[in-house]
Amino acid sequence: MNNAKLWLVVSPNLGIPIFLGAVAVGSFAVHLALVKNTTWIQSFHQGEEISADSAALTEEGAAAATASYAIPATDGATEITVILPDGTHAKALLQPPERLASATQ
Amino acid sequence: MSDDPDKVWPTGLTLREAEEVHSYMIDGTRVFGVIALLAHILVAVSTPWLG
Repeated sequence: MNNAKLWLVVSPNLGIPIFLGAVAVGSFAVHLALVKNTTWIQSFHQGEEISADSAALTEEGAAAATASYAIPATDGATEITVILPDGTHAKALLQPPERLASATQ
Repeated sequence: MSDDPDKVWPTGLTLREAEEVHSYMIDGTRVFGVIALLAHILVAVSTPWLG
């Protein structure tokens, strides 16, 4: 009760609204300044990913390859060449499932 | 400043009444602080705030 004597000289009818108003105005001003002076709050509210690192894992990031080519091979497989955004390329070989002799159908 | 507990000050309060008002102010501030702390923790874990 260190400061209780405040209310002996400042009427609570005046002091309490001023105190609560200062808290409200101060916290509103801080949050308004954050919204106006940062970019991540708007981005977050627009639905962007939380972390910049995870953005590369989204479908949008994965679709950034420049081009891809599918070349059928003679054995039924398909060779796919993908030109990556940085100019390098990668190849993948898609092979049809093997039919085992033990398969009943 | 007189410490006479029965003196009525210009605001119409005695020292005991002023201390009672002040205790409510402190309690309210503590409750507000706890709720605000909880809200900031939730924001910190669920938004890009603080990385």
